Amino acid sequence: MSAAGVESAPSRQRRPARPRRSPWAYVSVIAFLALTWWAGSDRFGIGFSVPELIENATRAGGIVSDFLDPQWIYWTALIGPFIETFQMAVIGGVIGCSIALVVAFLASKVTTPNTAAYLADKALLNILRALPDILYALVFVAAVGIGPLAGIIALILFNIGVVAKLLSETVDGVDLGPSEAAQAAGGNRFQQIRAAVFPQVLPNYLAFSLYTFELNLRASTVLGIVGAGGIGTLINVERAAFRYDRIAVIIVAIFVIVFVVESISIALRRRLV
Amino acid sequence: MTKLDTPIAAVSQARPRRPRATGRLLLNAALAVLFLGAALTVEVDLTRLLEAPAAIWRILVLMFSAPDWSELERASGLMLESIHIAWIGTIMGAILSLPLAFLAAKNVTSRTGSTVVRQVLNAIRAVPELILAIAFIPIVGLGAFAGTMAIGLHSIGTLGKLASEAIEGIDPGPVEAATSVGAPRMAVMRWGVLPQVLPEIVAFWLYRFEINIRAAAILGIVGAGGIGEGLSQTIIYRRWDRAGVYVIVIVLATVAIDAVSSRIRRRIIGGGDRAIKTEADMVTDGHGQSGPDPAKGPNPRDFG
Repeated sequence: MSAAGVESAPSRQRRPARPRRSPWAYVSVIAFLALTWWAGSDRFGIGFSVPELIENATRAGGIVSDFLDPQWIYWTALIGPFIETFQMAVIGGVIGCSIALVVAFLASKVTTPNTAAYLADKALLNILRALPDILYALVFVAAVGIGPLAGIIALILFNIGVVAKLLSETVDGVDLGPSEAAQAAGGNRFQQIRAAVFPQVLPNYLAFSLYTFELNLRASTVLGIVGAGGIGTLINVERAAFRYDRIAVIIVAIFVIVFVVESISIALRRRLV
Repeated sequence: MTKLDTPIAAVSQARPRRPRATGRLLLNAALAVLFLGAALTVEVDLTRLLEAPAAIWRILVLMFSAPDWSELERASGLMLESIHIAWIGTIMGAILSLPLAFLAAKNVTSRTGSTVVRQVLNAIRAVPELILAIAFIPIVGLGAFAGTMAIGLHSIGTLGKLASEAIEGIDPGPVEAATSVGAPRMAVMRWGVLPQVLPEIVAFWLYRFEINIRAAAILGIVGAGGIGEGLSQTIIYRRWDRAGVYVIVIVLATVAIDAVSSRIRRRIIGGGDRAIKTEADMVTDGHGQSGPDPAKGPNPRDFG
């Protein structure tokens, strides 16, 4: 009797064996480390080094101390360029989002049963989205000249890419019932979309548009760096003159404005959807 | 029966009154005023917008009709540098954002503590990478290192925010279990929280890597390394035949990496019962906070 009790107790207390790790886990860890070493090394990659960073950042005098001592009075010079940045964001946003509305319905199977048209639109959107906005600006500055026009065109294309993709995915997921009802009542394709699909995606459309306005504001602060108007133009000027005390003011101003607009936009989007 | 029939028929044949449209009208008017105000005051002749397509088409033809393929080697080398920048920058952001994400999650940290960390993360996110790169160049010098620092710093903000929201959505069960057997705080985090959120967080890292590739492709415009440098040079010198090669390399590289990365992401998250969060969800619910899901169908209140 006592023998049985002694025997069973230790066996019950024994820990279950750890599950075996898949060999893929080791392979992926090694691949990860090798890639990182390759990308970070001085010889093949970017030459990442923490000591160098600390040494440079703590070096006394020069640009870093300029940065930390901003010329605050400079903010008055920022008002004009910031208004331009806003104008670009609004114009590019309104035109871009309006075009995106049409493009989005063409990029969803629900509203565009024609496979060729649907696939062509989808491919166009993918290419449009593969390139960053500032790259568009770089090309358009060469095409239409330096100034906000190039930036506005870049923002229009950028917004079509973002809103049309997001909205077409929303259209893919709509309830088909109302659309069928509209068709049964004799509505043509446009009427079906207008009366049955559009109302379903309207809140999302508004949310996406607000979101792109926010993205626009952020993007149009940097478009000026390539000459496409807005506050970025000023960054380029001051950078060429090594006025890092002024650049610090510009960065703080961009930060404040983007931060405020984003907070408003997030609050509005939460109410919308 | 007859008593009931007549009134219902009478009511249902009258058209219901149109809902008031005051709010929508106000919104449309505000939007129109905003747009017209901007369009009329901006120092641009907006009719030139109509000429733009022709000018752009001309350049597209120059770019892609006869690309100068001798530039391919330099373009690929620079694109590789952009990928390196994105990789190291993402790792930097991932490592530094993880502890911050725990500190920013309301269910793990005290209320004031999480609010402070959350605002810090928002602040980091508000500055575009290109501007951060401009700030880093005087500190670490021209080149890829500055770009990496800019991408790494910006990624801390976005990754920290996404990861903290994932932590806020955990099942409290394992945390309670770990606490009930007397686990210290760190052990609760390690065994109660981390295993639940790690797949989602790793997927966020990969998603960020895809975005960072795009960012790293343009950093060269300000001299922070990568393919943007070569591209902006060719465009400044109007070598459109070469610029075309750069654009092709960027598009191919980003599309290829997106495809691989999104497959890995799906493998990591799929299999579990968690739905894959799309970009659209992040937008509509205000960067990941849970709200009513429009994809799940119409709101029952709409039928009331």
